[in-house]
Amino acid sequence: MTDDLRRLVYYSRNRTAGAPEAVDGTIRGILETSRVNNARVGVTGALMFNAGCFAQVLEGPTSAVEATFERIQQDERHGDVALLAYDVVENRLFTDWSMAYVGASQAEVARYGDLADSSGFDIARMTGDRLCAVLHGLALEEEAAAAA
Amino acid sequence: MPVPSAAPVPPLDPVGAALAEMATPLLLLDAGGTVTFANVRAASLFAGAASAGPVLAALLMSQGAVKPRALDDALRAGRPARERLAFADGRLVEAALAPLSSGGFALTFDDVTEHVRSAALARLEPLTGLCNRAELHERLGAALTEAERAGAPLAVLLLDLDRFKAVNDTLGHPAGDALLRKVAERLRNAARQEDVIARLGGDEFAILQIGRAGADALRAAEALAARLVELVGRTYVLDGQMLNVGASVGIALYPADGRGADDLMKHADLALYRAKADGRATYRFFEPAMNAAVQARRSLEIDLRRALALKQFSLAFQPQVSLETGTVSGFEALLRWHHPERGPISPATFIPLAEEIGVIVGIGEWALRTACREAASWAQPASIAVNLSPVQFRGGKLVETVTLALAQTGLDPARLELEITEGALLDDTDGVLTVLNGLRGLGVRISMDDFGTGYSSLSYLQKFPFDKIKIDQSFVRGMAGSAECGAIVRAIARLGASLGMRTTAEGVETADQLDAIRAEGCSEVQGYLTGRPMPADQAAALLT
Repeated sequence: MTDDLRRLVYYSRNRTAGAPEAVDGTIRGILETSRVNNARVGVTGALMFNAGCFAQVLEGPTSAVEATFERIQQDERHGDVALLAYDVVENRLFTDWSMAYVGASQAEVARYGDLADSSGFDIARMTGDRLCAVLHGLALEEEAAAAA
Repeated sequence: MPVPSAAPVPPLDPVGAALAEMATPLLLLDAGGTVTFANVRAASLFAGAASAGPVLAALLMSQGAVKPRALDDALRAGRPARERLAFADGRLVEAALAPLSSGGFALTFDDVTEHVRSAALARLEPLTGLCNRAELHERLGAALTEAERAGAPLAVLLLDLDRFKAVNDTLGHPAGDALLRKVAERLRNAARQEDVIARLGGDEFAILQIGRAGADALRAAEALAARLVELVGRTYVLDGQMLNVGASVGIALYPADGRGADDLMKHADLALYRAKADGRATYRFFEPAMNAAVQARRSLEIDLRRALALKQFSLAFQPQVSLETGTVSGFEALLRWHHPERGPISPATFIPLAEEIGVIVGIGEWALRTACREAASWAQPASIAVNLSPVQFRGGKLVETVTLALAQTGLDPARLELEITEGALLDDTDGVLTVLNGLRGLGVRISMDDFGTGYSSLSYLQKFPFDKIKIDQSFVRGMAGSAECGAIVRAIARLGASLGMRTTAEGVETADQLDAIRAEGCSEVQGYLTGRPMPADQAAALLT
């Protein structure tokens, strides 16, 4: 198998239940684990947690992306995983960081909730490309905010 | 490990020589556990470190073996002991300590590494590393003994992948194998540590759920089954491909569904069969009625396998009437099975079964030959239509069979019409078209049967120039009450006319239907109105 660079985009329903703080903690936990595990195997990407679902982009060598995705598929916390795209790509969109957690505060969750209401933003209806573009934009914003 | 301080004691007598050179590694120890003698094999077992001098514990530690508790205790107590030692390099050595009447101990060793490893391998299925069938049976037997003793329930879950064959066929066996490994991984993830997971072969897996107490056993089995169906059904990514397979699960519980291993496995299998029949990607618990249904089917299968030899089949002939001339233009031969005890058995029951178990090939051959012989004896050269099963196309001998039947009976090939359904064309369309062209080459005619009910793919009509299209009886029956049915009959009749194919309307039962059919421009009719299926002699009499 050639280890081409691939990008995988999926979303899934979030099965993490509990109070907002507990959910926030769980998501942070997932993110932390992903950062550590994925950096080691050369997988980068973006994770979005929003209104009850995960959306994630994984980029990296085929074997590493497949192993990472398989781990996600076996994770109880993900339900109804829908694979939106899985393609060979020339370059990474998300390069110098392992994962970006978009929606760090309750306020931000509320903000994405507004987005859903006002613009018809619905992860389940998005194509892989569109979702990827949105995540990319959010990641750049976050980077800029962190640098400021 | 310090360098040995003394060379092996030189043997001075034949007994000493035998001890030194015997095939079994041997150490002699004094009462305190210090090595007083090591033979050649012992020295080689301990890679040269064994010799008279060190205490046993130090010698064993030199090989990375954990402190041998049983041997230590036995040394102190002066009694015999056996203990398996694991060396750091992976070797497994069985040590046997025996006190000597002269004082001290004899310690012998047996390197069981290969034996243990091959025994472990013999229990594993090489592709997935799960248990194999033999190991599952062994573990099930042990679990049943324990369950009986403790009165504890256990569950057997059989899992079979849906659409796995398609993965193998389209992506190749290496991809299929890689998928099976991922499925095995997901099964391990879904089951608990104490559950036994096995691959039984192909895409069949089994899980033995042990140690769920009381009424919880049923709920636990159901929860696991639901989890398996969901987890295994999630998308896989593999070698750059996205893959989807489903899982069906059948469950049998001890003791409710059986007390023995064979019964539990069989009943779980029946439940699995039901899960698949109920649309796959689901699970089913065993129910006693499944057993009854299978027994009934098996008994019918046994009877069906010998029906041909026992001459229980016959043919009935149904007239086909030309709408141009109003005369009988031919007959369709229809297979009948009359069982001495069961009575007449519907073709709708036995033909699918005959296809499934393959006996349809022999039965079809008999029907073809019998129909041709009968037609050859008729006073007029009317046509004879014989149905072909899709299964008959797979053996690669159909053209030969038809050639032989024509030769044996002397029937003019132009009088024989072979009827096929769309089902025959579904799989391996090109292969079937080749056979059809071969048949056409013999001079026989080919009809498309039951048109309008299956896929009704017009591409089949374009791919092969059928001589005749037979319009399914459901449309003819529906014509009186439904304008749509009339429209469909009209469309097929016109389609046939423009493609140069004749059209036969089946199931004509009333004069009104006949008028309507005539108005739509069909070439022929077949139905109770123009003639029921009749015995051969009556059919022959109609042609005199």
